[in-house]
Amino acid sequence: MIKNVYGENLTSFTVKVRRQASPDSQSYWEAFNIPYQADLNVISVLQQIAKMSKNAKGESTTPVAWDCGCLEEVCGACTMVINGRVRQSCSALVDNILDENNDVLRLEPMSKFPVIRDLVVDRSRVFRALQKIKAWVPVDGYYDMGAGPKQDRKRQEQAYPLSECMSCGCCLEACPQYLKVETQRESDETDEQFEDRKNAEYDKNFVGAHAINQAMLFNSNPTGKMISGERLDALTDEGGIQICGNAQNCVAVCPKEIPLTTSIAKAGRAATIHKIKKFFDSNEK
Amino acid sequence: MDSSETNFFRKHEFLIRRLHSLSGLLPVGAYMIVHLLTNASILNGVESFQNLVYQIHSLGKILWIVEWGFIFLPLLFHAGFGVVIIMGSKSNTSQYSYVANWRYRMQRITGMVALLFIGFHVLHMHGWFHVGFWKTFAHAIGMAQFSPYNAASTAGEAMQSTILMPVFYFVGIAACVYHLANGVWTMGITWGVWTTPQAQKRATIACAGLGGFVMIVAISALVGFCTLDTDKAQEREIEMYQESVNVGRIIENEEKLSKPAQKKIKRERRRK
Repeated sequence: MIKNVYGENLTSFTVKVRRQASPDSQSYWEAFNIPYQADLNVISVLQQIAKMSKNAKGESTTPVAWDCGCLEEVCGACTMVINGRVRQSCSALVDNILDENNDVLRLEPMSKFPVIRDLVVDRSRVFRALQKIKAWVPVDGYYDMGAGPKQDRKRQEQAYPLSECMSCGCCLEACPQYLKVETQRESDETDEQFEDRKNAEYDKNFVGAHAINQAMLFNSNPTGKMISGERLDALTDEGGIQICGNAQNCVAVCPKEIPLTTSIAKAGRAATIHKIKKFFDSNEK
Repeated sequence: MDSSETNFFRKHEFLIRRLHSLSGLLPVGAYMIVHLLTNASILNGVESFQNLVYQIHSLGKILWIVEWGFIFLPLLFHAGFGVVIIMGSKSNTSQYSYVANWRYRMQRITGMVALLFIGFHVLHMHGWFHVGFWKTFAHAIGMAQFSPYNAASTAGEAMQSTILMPVFYFVGIAACVYHLANGVWTMGITWGVWTTPQAQKRATIACAGLGGFVMIVAISALVGFCTLDTDKAQEREIEMYQESVNVGRIIENEEKLSKPAQKKIKRERRRK
């Protein structure tokens, strides 16, 4: 049983949620009182709030909007800032959090992405970065390309941890070099025009640790490395690896414990060699 | 839309950032180490330090090219672009108080301290520009205190002018040394020299060793100038100047002597 500050058994606890009705409205804090139960996670707390639809003052309120998918920390959709630290709400156990922080649970949307509503953010920049660095193995074509080259055991073991990335955005939220990019839609714009303008804006800014790591994953794949030069071109383009400031928060907050800083340093090395080769040998691709 | 100037910076962002990283070590960091080692020679005596300064000034008329080309311009680029980098970031140590994150933040804080310190230090000793009216003005406000042919005595006097000066210099130098040592560490990651956490840990130890060594050199120099008997040093420097001019080691140039030393030499000549 969790005790409160007076050493009594906890019967209820406060949840403060940073809420925002729409992308362009002001954010505000709303408090909720949740009856304590053992083994809650943050998702079940949010479900409880939706069920009550009453805040701590007893006023009726709209349910808090949030995103979730797998509920087992492999999809990244429910990522939010919990008591100041970015993590997945499905694997955030209330008992552990209350143990660290007396009686209060603070839930905020990630600060580096545009808020859609309450705890739901637009993470499209995360996926745009994966497009930019071509985070795939290029095998699409009109004919059978046959079996790919064999991968040796050692390389498989090195690649596996890098492949665990779920593009949740924790590394980006904690990165002091990754700043929020929010593009406002103009009234006379079509969906496509807005999308293009948004992507162009994303492309000018930092790709982030997750994308650098994916570039290294696919550059280590025997088939994937056929376009390794294109990936390094993207990584050394505007907003590329050069923006990294080596604060190393990414590796510290990664829920999958991916060796992100090792990938970044290896990408730095590959970029150094790639650029020197390109400068001295015009045939280098 | 964007002007062509910002487009240029955008297009060459990778190259500019890498040049910023490189310039921190070569020539700026390397120069700083040589500078501090030269200064620490004061502990060996006025003669050692003065001779090293003679050697530097033996470049004569091309000295300013070396000064601007290898020291001031790279330093201005490193500092100026450093400010741009700082403006494009947002520290979050209150939320994520990891050691590496503090090091990241300290790198930026010490960079700003170093910028202010070096700006003052160069004005204080060198005077920024060696052109007529500016030099007179700098002297008038108590700056441009260093005279190369009275190297030890003028540097000593500048350090001993107030008790705050050595304290200010200590803080400034400590910021520069941290910035260099931690900068070498981040440079190793940026260029891909040390990649794994284990290698980065070993590199941290090596960089801390480098920082510790440079700091000892710096403190030696600081103590040397703060405890110097400047009157005695000046006498010796005047002797050295006259002898060196006689044997042709240096070319006669009273501009490079301090004002009191110039007067003393004139008085001596009159007596003869």
